[in-house]
Amino acid sequence: MLAIGAIAGGPSVTAATTGAAISVRGLTRRFGAVVAVDDVSLEIAAGEFIALLGPSGSGKSTVLMSLAGFDLPDAGRILIGGEDCTHLPPHRRNIGMVFQNYTLFPHLSVADNVAFPLKMRGIGRAERRARAEAALEVVRLSGFGARMPRQLSGGQQQRVALARAIVYRPRVLLMDEPLSALDKNLREEMQIEIKRLHSELGITIVFVTHDQGEALTMADRVAILRAGRVQQIAPARTLYERPANLFAAGFIGDMNRIPTTWDGRAAHVAGRALALEAEAAVSAVPPGPAILAVRPERIGVAAPDRPDALPATVTDVVYGGAGTLVIATLDDGAQVRARAPSAALPPLAPGDRVGLVVPPGAALLYPAEAP
Amino acid sequence: MSAARASAARAASAARAGPVTPGPAANDVVTTGFFRARGRRMSKPAIVGLMLPFFSLLVFAFLYPLMSLIAISLTEPQPGLANYARVFENPVYATVLLRTLRIALLVSLLSLILAFPVAALMARSKGPKLALITACILLPFWSSVLVRTAAWAVLLQRNGLVNGLLTGLGVTDAPVKLLYTQGAVVVAMTHVLMPFMVLPIYGALRNIPTDLARAAAICGAGPARAFREVTLPLALPGVTGGFILVFLSALGYFITPSLLGSPQEMMIATLISQQIRESLDWPFAAALVGVLTLFVTGITLAFGRLFRFDRLMGARA
Repeated sequence: MLAIGAIAGGPSVTAATTGAAISVRGLTRRFGAVVAVDDVSLEIAAGEFIALLGPSGSGKSTVLMSLAGFDLPDAGRILIGGEDCTHLPPHRRNIGMVFQNYTLFPHLSVADNVAFPLKMRGIGRAERRARAEAALEVVRLSGFGARMPRQLSGGQQQRVALARAIVYRPRVLLMDEPLSALDKNLREEMQIEIKRLHSELGITIVFVTHDQGEALTMADRVAILRAGRVQQIAPARTLYERPANLFAAGFIGDMNRIPTTWDGRAAHVAGRALALEAEAAVSAVPPGPAILAVRPERIGVAAPDRPDALPATVTDVVYGGAGTLVIATLDDGAQVRARAPSAALPPLAPGDRVGLVVPPGAALLYPAEAP
Repeated sequence: MSAARASAARAASAARAGPVTPGPAANDVVTTGFFRARGRRMSKPAIVGLMLPFFSLLVFAFLYPLMSLIAISLTEPQPGLANYARVFENPVYATVLLRTLRIALLVSLLSLILAFPVAALMARSKGPKLALITACILLPFWSSVLVRTAAWAVLLQRNGLVNGLLTGLGVTDAPVKLLYTQGAVVVAMTHVLMPFMVLPIYGALRNIPTDLARAAAICGAGPARAFREVTLPLALPGVTGGFILVFLSALGYFITPSLLGSPQEMMIATLISQQIRESLDWPFAAALVGVLTLFVTGITLAFGRLFRFDRLMGARA
């Protein structure tokens, strides 16, 4: 806490006051014929931790580069703390950034790397040293100041990069897949470290990742991008329980997509009619062919003769300790995955007949066409 | 056997690294790969086999003749330092030596000024653009130094292109004496030696990750500041490398100064040639070679100490 006080300028500065709100309005960026970012708008609250999640080529990095000022958008505006900085060069934006590959200056010691932003701001040598050491303490690297970057491990280098990004008390911290170069254990350790820094410093964090687990566990809200467009921006739970469209549904976690016919009241699957609640349709679904989306863990495995169950034939059983994955084929040929506690399942083998139970409220309905 | 020794040595150096933390974990990404030492070791016969052709050539075509010359300078006509005393007693020779150093320094500085922007452009280019610039840099190598020097003589002569331009544009009333001046020697030598400056600088600049410039910018460094604080220090090994290469080549340059300079621009290589071919004074020529060799060695060592490449790269343990 002492170190945090040194960073934030004294104990009187409360964490909540350091972050800045970010407003992205109608951001568009084209590379030749390719529209990398297509009319993206984001409202990020002060002190919020937001993750930009998407496959490669979804435009998430381009959005981040525009926020940093390394890439100028073709259209749209970016406001940080209410100030328009769409065309401000990066060195005048006063934001912190952590890159994927550490990007420490190899000719400078760890302390000089961390003090670099302070030097650029004309801060005197003594204060630079004190604040760099305090920042190193925040990332738990006290005493490493005299080393050269190449003498540190990848995880340590990335923590130095983190210290360098927060040492000048920026109100916004951008992170471009900062953990993707680290191995699994180190990654989890750094995730906790970054979460801790976020709650202690109250800084606004925009975090780009292609790892859905990372996005869900770390961020207050996750923005899912695809082909330059925001698919959904919501807290983790909403994202998982009510994905806005089939892409978001498939991108976060495992999701069954069962072709169905919707008549306005019930979904017809393999000769059975499933009555759905009104809120099952996330967006308006016209009667006709549709897609029924159900999480595997919401599907129950029962006897084949149960009247409310969908009859199916087991094709594979994957035992995984606490849970077992049952892969079954409906009578109309659709494949369904059901995940159930191993203890609750009868012994099953490929070829067995089962009934798959979709409880009311477990199914979501989407239009059949690709979103 | 040697691999085991190497890993033992690595373990020992890791243990020396400090008591605060253990060295980087084995499964960890240790560096960006950016100045990492190669871990693989070669067997001794392989090293000897690979070096042998070059070393034989070096010994028979360079070291042996050089040593013979030094021996001549110290033993003929009488054993002693008389030949060396002559070099420093006669102010003419000292003047030639100083002039040689001055011209070499001028050529190196001019090459550096001209080469850096080209190297920077190359480092930012790729594909056909890079190929085109590289071709332009290497194009002069397709013709001999003699041809290029002769071309400068044509350009700079009294009725040449440059004088034509100067008088045509009204800069001067009458043709100016351009040929057989120190300026002509410096310009032509720079032209010939510049590629040796461009390539090492380009190599150093290309090895700097682009993200470093971005990191500097986001830290608050404007383009000029980022260049001074990050790009230039990291390019310095290339700059010094190119500088040494050009400077040492210029010290011993022969054809260009003898064709484009007057006796007032005589450099030491020309003087040596004159002593051998006209005065037939081998012992004295050999003493001049000895002095030049001494200078070259001294300057190389001084550069090495001055810039401490190892420190620059953070190899300090």
